[in-house]
Amino acid sequence: MKKVIVSVFGPDRPGILAAVSRILHEQDCNIENVTQTILQSEFSGSFIADTPESLTADALCCCFSRILTPMRLQVHVKYLEVAVPALSGVASEPFVITTRGPDRKGLVAGITHVIASYGVNVTHLQAVFKGGDNPGDNIMIYEVDVPVNIDAHIFHRDLQDRAAELGLVISIQHRRIFEAINRV
Amino acid sequence: MLSTSEIVSTLEMLQNEHLDVRTVTLGINLLDCVSHDIHQFKDRIYSRITGLAADLVRVCNQIGDKYGIPVVNKRISISPMAVAGAPFSSEQLVEVAKVLNDAAVSVNVDFIGGFTALVQKGIARGDRALIEAIPQALAETERVCASVNVASTRAGINMDAVLLMGKIIREAARRTAHQDGLACAKLCVFANIPEDIPFMAGAYLGVGEADAVINVGVSGPGVVKKAIDRAIAADPRLDLGRLSEIIKRTAYKVTRVGELIGREVASVLGIRFGVVDLSLAPTPNVGDSVGEIFQSLGLKSIGVPGSTAALAMLNDAVKKGGAFASSHVGGLSGAFIPVSEDLNIEAAARSGQLTIEKLEAMTSVCSVGLDMVAIPGDTSEETIAAIIADEMAIGVINKKTTATRLIPVPGKKAGDSAFFGGLLGQSVIMPVNNAEGDNPFIRLGGLIPAPIQSMNN
Repeated sequence: MKKVIVSVFGPDRPGILAAVSRILHEQDCNIENVTQTILQSEFSGSFIADTPESLTADALCCCFSRILTPMRLQVHVKYLEVAVPALSGVASEPFVITTRGPDRKGLVAGITHVIASYGVNVTHLQAVFKGGDNPGDNIMIYEVDVPVNIDAHIFHRDLQDRAAELGLVISIQHRRIFEAINRV
Repeated sequence: MLSTSEIVSTLEMLQNEHLDVRTVTLGINLLDCVSHDIHQFKDRIYSRITGLAADLVRVCNQIGDKYGIPVVNKRISISPMAVAGAPFSSEQLVEVAKVLNDAAVSVNVDFIGGFTALVQKGIARGDRALIEAIPQALAETERVCASVNVASTRAGINMDAVLLMGKIIREAARRTAHQDGLACAKLCVFANIPEDIPFMAGAYLGVGEADAVINVGVSGPGVVKKAIDRAIAADPRLDLGRLSEIIKRTAYKVTRVGELIGREVASVLGIRFGVVDLSLAPTPNVGDSVGEIFQSLGLKSIGVPGSTAALAMLNDAVKKGGAFASSHVGGLSGAFIPVSEDLNIEAAARSGQLTIEKLEAMTSVCSVGLDMVAIPGDTSEETIAAIIADEMAIGVINKKTTATRLIPVPGKKAGDSAFFGGLLGQSVIMPVNNAEGDNPFIRLGGLIPAPIQSMNN
């Protein structure tokens, strides 16, 4: 069996997941993972599925386009390559980096530049910028895996320096604290 | 994946509501350091303390940084010195206190507790030597804390010890008259003292404990107040049953923080984790006050009619939340109402809305007692002892811990101000009413027998 990853995006409306999953089922594919989100009014979803040997990515893409294009959705299909772990097998600890502060251009770029420069991997990002000066309306939450072999103290310091330059208040905390406080 | 609300609410607690770990306290057993030779004993306890606690502060800071939760104080509790140092004289025990202070300075902890005697049923020779050493020991050290357990539900109230403590407190105040009697702020008199308190000044390591143990004291009055405020703003018709539920849930969160930090500190140090003490402990900062919770609940001030009921509800809800959050809850675990350490409570005392008599009533439903109460410097030994006896009776009969930390401020009278500094805060001096004349009752001495409640085998 081959695996494909199908990316679908476009204006949100009822029936997108039903349409994508029906096509995959009709083409004898088995869905392994799905994630979807709605950003403002835009739907974005990714599907990983096992496909029959005889089904090509191009053929599958055609099937999708026939149904989804009239729904103003765009589709991308590609074979899934053998995965190399994001941190190449280096042990890591899950942290949550949170920033709050007024919106301006370059906030995500500024923070992710520091994160990337230490080889820290972002596993999930939520960012909301409603504008204005209310820090609570402008928040970025990065869930990251921090390799255990980096100097966490210097990483934290550099993040804090960058955040200060950007006018942000930043917190860097091990994920476990949020689980301990909020979950039974 | 964490939800945004989980993350934002946690950050609010940390950044705006003073959530912190108030203390990580390393308990150290000193009983096998015992020696008839004072020099050997001092060497042994210094080595033991500085050896075991060498990394305490560094590890606490490191783990505090990791979770974004400040560990405000790092402290040490030791085996009761009246036991470990039983062969020694008062003069020698003062030397021991100085060694303890040196050890605390060496490992950079702010307090070391356990200059302690347990005399609820009788005073042994070593106990008396230690108690008589307390005034000088506390006056000539900065970081040593002392406690004396004079009563228990199983033993009754040792009125000889109570009277002795009246004298000792007066003497401790006299020796630190230039600091408003500061030594008394480092001295607690207890009934039913727990063996695992992480909070000062009452911390010591019980004789039933292991070689070393990490106990954690969490805090969070600001978190509780804000949770109440938010709930009432969202629904002004909330009744006390639902408010109690909100306090309980908040206490759960606070306790979970303490247990997480404590267990990790213990793991890194290779020391057993003991308990979380989930007390609401205020500091002299706005927004970190137990007194403010009373106002959020609708009372004009702590001390007005209704305060005891409010405190009973608060204390019970805190215990319930904490008990669900951790199977290892210990220490005092409840709400503290230390007058000088809480701006709001001090203001209530200053305005006259809170009196010693009302405080005493409230201590029947909270976790400690008459805590950090400054009283006139001319209050007699007998009157101090009588106040202690009343407080001990509440603890003994109700099978709970009670304590006093009374500070007769030398040269000052009711209405004057006393300044202790730092976490100990400052306070108006509260009047002691109806204390004129002799008090032959307190001089009768002996043991008030254990109450019928003790016969539960």
